[in-house]
Amino acid sequence: MHISGDINIQKLWETIIIPAFEKEYPNYKVNVTFDRNGLREAQLIARITAAKATRRDPQVDIIEGTGAILTLSAGNLLYRPSPTLIPNLKTVNKLLVKQAAGGIPYRASTVMLAYNSAKVTKVPKTLDELLAWIKANPGKFSYNVPSGGGSGNSFVQTVVDMNLTPDERVRMSLVEDKEIQKKWAKGLETLRDLNKYTYGKNGTYPANNVATLTLLGTGEIDMGTVWSDMFASAKAAGTMPASMKATAIKSPSLTGGPAVLGIPINGKNRAGARLLANFALTPAMQNEIMGNFLKGIPVISGKLLDQTLFENFKDIDVTDMRAPYLAANNNELRSQWSLNVPGK
Amino acid sequence: MATTNTVNTKEGFAEIKTAKLSTLGFFMALPPVLVIILFVGVPIFIAFIFSIGYTGGPNRVISIIGQDIYTKNSWWGTADAYLAVFRDPRFMPDFILTMVVTFVSTFVVLLMAMGMGLYQRIQGGKVASILSMLSLVPLFVPVVIAAYAVAQFYNGVGFMRTFMSQFGVEFPIITATQNAIIIGTIWTSLPFAILMITSGLQSVPNALIETAQDAGAGFLRIVRTILVPLAFVPIVIAGTFTAIGIMGSFTVPVFLGPNQPAMLGVEISNFFTAYNRPQQSIVMAFIIFTAASGIAVLYIWANIRSAKQSGRI
Repeated sequence: MHISGDINIQKLWETIIIPAFEKEYPNYKVNVTFDRNGLREAQLIARITAAKATRRDPQVDIIEGTGAILTLSAGNLLYRPSPTLIPNLKTVNKLLVKQAAGGIPYRASTVMLAYNSAKVTKVPKTLDELLAWIKANPGKFSYNVPSGGGSGNSFVQTVVDMNLTPDERVRMSLVEDKEIQKKWAKGLETLRDLNKYTYGKNGTYPANNVATLTLLGTGEIDMGTVWSDMFASAKAAGTMPASMKATAIKSPSLTGGPAVLGIPINGKNRAGARLLANFALTPAMQNEIMGNFLKGIPVISGKLLDQTLFENFKDIDVTDMRAPYLAANNNELRSQWSLNVPGK
Repeated sequence: MATTNTVNTKEGFAEIKTAKLSTLGFFMALPPVLVIILFVGVPIFIAFIFSIGYTGGPNRVISIIGQDIYTKNSWWGTADAYLAVFRDPRFMPDFILTMVVTFVSTFVVLLMAMGMGLYQRIQGGKVASILSMLSLVPLFVPVVIAAYAVAQFYNGVGFMRTFMSQFGVEFPIITATQNAIIIGTIWTSLPFAILMITSGLQSVPNALIETAQDAGAGFLRIVRTILVPLAFVPIVIAGTFTAIGIMGSFTVPVFLGPNQPAMLGVEISNFFTAYNRPQQSIVMAFIIFTAASGIAVLYIWANIRSAKQSGRI
């Protein structure tokens, strides 16, 4: 099993889902490869493509991580999930399964705007208001380097998306399009102008998701973009003060969506992979995802879940989240960002 | 007659023995050489032909996956990938930063190691031994921990800032700057240089120093005309190894450096993974390789010089 995500996702699988799975099915043993923040996703895709071309075992049976799965799915390298083989998929919203494009949605998470309610009086509701707030409060906002983690990546994508039409945004999440990429210039300029107003005021940015959370936790910044689940776990663990709250912004909203599992079409142990995917969708595991340290958003029908835990999540519509870019577009955006924004 | 015979036998015996030893020596040297050819030489060769546009064979998969791949357009390949890197506005600042950090850090490291070595050589005593032992501690601290510690020390809520603010002084945040990388690399490279230079200076005979003192030579003159020339080779070795190590460093600049410009070690990793441009990252690797070879020439020159002086060649 290949996991790409931050350490909280690694912990979810290694300490909760996999031990429970191995207890339930003692004849299975799950070997985990962890790829922090999906930095080696390109190599994983290469391995599966190469294994397919040379008809060999790709040495991976199941993958966790949205970016790689979207690319693999586009290349017809994924085993299509079907409710006959994965019965628990029936309890997941059909639209969500469709959006997952060949992957198996098992939890959802979204990027949110975290703020210090003790310091921020008027909470921004749109991206424009957020940009105005950043300029009015120099040094009190930050987002992490887009190549270092999804939360900063989402902020950068959201700012460049301001100058794109809704159709163009959707297109960027599906195919590589050099023409639309040219329209990023204006958004990147907006981001470059923020250099004097973000934390440090010198155009340097935190290295990854956790670094942003640390800055928020120590009170060095009053606002920043964070993953909903990481923020909730930090609050539960006490590293994030109670005065910190998270909110969503509009026009455009920050990105998010289902986290999916994918089964490579040429994997050796597809039956085991299906069993594990099915197991992750059981009500017991979904309760663990939302109730335990992760505070992730469950994807199966609310009726099957623990009602007290579900209370916090019932207003979230997992089918209405803005999709992140396709890997090829996102790689280009990260590169363009590093060319145009930091230290300028 | 008898004497000639003995001499003959002796010579013949010696010849056989040398021949046997040289075959044995050849086979003993073979495994490391083979390992280097197989696991270092061949990959470097494959990477090199990839960088000049040979995208078939062992490079096929990576050329399918990578973005902005340049394929050869003449019999010898193409220089497009190299041109693309040189034209990339990130490259020159990155290269300059790498060189500045390398030279400044190496210079400071050599200066500090010389100070330590001279103090121990000239002064000696218990304090000097304790100090030189303490200076070796960073050798046993993993680089990633050291880099994190330095970052924690100088960051926004680090020791320097909180301590200085007690006296109403606003100490600047120096993490994410070139200076932080220099501090970090000095910290991690110093012990090796001290080890090399101290032992080099220790091997200078006492008699020479005492004679010079009797003849009325001052401290600086002894250092300039006796200690430095006699410990020249260890000093050059310390300098070249430090410089090559710093030039290709990754952990310290990634923890302590700015997002952009980044040192080439960090930028290579960015290009390879985050921007998915393997060809450009290989080109940068060859540029570092060339720069490091320049330093290695200095090392070889110093070795040949000392071999000549001692009459080995």
